[in-house]
Amino acid sequence: MSAVHDLDAYFEALLFIAERPLTTGELAGLGEVPDLQAEAALNDLGERLAEDGRGLRLQRLGNEWQLVTAPELGARLAAYAARQEARLSNAALEALAVIAYRQPCTRAEVDRVRGVDSDYVIRSLLHRRLVTEVGRRDTPGRPILLGTTFTFLERFGLTALDDLPPLTSEAAALTALTADAG
Amino acid sequence: MPLEPIPVEADPGAEAPPFELRLDVFSGPLDLLLHLIEARELDVLTVPLAEMADAYVEHLANHPVAPAELADFVGVASQLILLKSRRLLPGEPQPSARTGEDEPDEEELRRRLLEYRALRDAARQLGAWDGERVAFRREPREADLPEAPTEPMPASALADVLGRLAAIPEPEPPPPEVVPREVTIAMQITALREAMGSAGRVVLQTVLAACRSRTEISVTVLAMLELVRRRQATVEQTELFGPILVRRIGSEAGT
Repeated sequence: MSAVHDLDAYFEALLFIAERPLTTGELAGLGEVPDLQAEAALNDLGERLAEDGRGLRLQRLGNEWQLVTAPELGARLAAYAARQEARLSNAALEALAVIAYRQPCTRAEVDRVRGVDSDYVIRSLLHRRLVTEVGRRDTPGRPILLGTTFTFLERFGLTALDDLPPLTSEAAALTALTADAG
Repeated sequence: MPLEPIPVEADPGAEAPPFELRLDVFSGPLDLLLHLIEARELDVLTVPLAEMADAYVEHLANHPVAPAELADFVGVASQLILLKSRRLLPGEPQPSARTGEDEPDEEELRRRLLEYRALRDAARQLGAWDGERVAFRREPREADLPEAPTEPMPASALADVLGRLAAIPEPEPPPPEVVPREVTIAMQITALREAMGSAGRVVLQTVLAACRSRTEISVTVLAMLELVRRRQATVEQTELFGPILVRRIGSEAGT
């Protein structure tokens, strides 16, 4: 029990001093435990931070982890951090939502869902580092695949992509249907 | 001869268009169509989309969209008009005979609308969180930056560097002819005054003959005109291309 919490505490301290997100593998190597055990300890740490209402949260993107401030404190911290970003336009939010829920997805998919050319707004999302290129689809033309970033999770106070607002069920079914078709 | 100011007349026919502020900006054709359906409190799942054609086209006619997006808006308009025209023409063969189901075009458009609505609602939720729920990561502090080497430096290292610097020869002065010679009207006014000397007059061509460039000649002529404008000199030329005599005003009275 205490050994497990030792690992939590060690990971918490490591993530506190880390200058960049750390991967599960890196943390497991540093903790000298198997990846699965490291992941369990990290999940445990994330849950305890949230349940105890601490000022920090554990954020996960793929197999990378980082400590961030609790989203509930965001508005109050913004005054200190002096970082008030310009609001995103509705068009930019829509394109971002398509990429966030469909990732990895192509520009063409964003255009199709929105029904309008989204090149400009996607470029602004790339520029703001809210989305990034995550690879290329293995289809003719090898279109660029887009995905969201840690900056995206930070900006909207999400600890992981699972925290995204749920899509309405009927729409989620439709989305799945369309994804199967495409 | 003084120049007459050119009268600027306002074109009576060109009145400024009234300033128009539009708040109902739609982010795309589906956004507009969904808005029209919801504004009428109709159900997206069941509303016959053909019935939205008129409202959509009317809105588009009254609220122009950006040229870049016009094609997408018109594309949806044409789909709606197609659906409506099929309803109006009973002789048109129905692509889908199954009762109680949308024909393929309508089904496809409705599916896109529902899909779009879900993402629009999610985008609205994200928009509500934007700036309210930000989670900050630790900013790299100055101490996190790569450190400079901290080994003590012997004072002789400075002397070494200085010695090497001294060995580098001074750059040669640039050749004088590449330096553009700056000639100003003020300079040439002075030159003209000097050339007029105590006699108070000079033939312009003799001054121009000493000029070394076309620019200097132009500036000298401008300087002469400037003197005339200030009423400090008069200019005489008795024949075409003849000598131009520049005479200081008041010189005869002065001497």
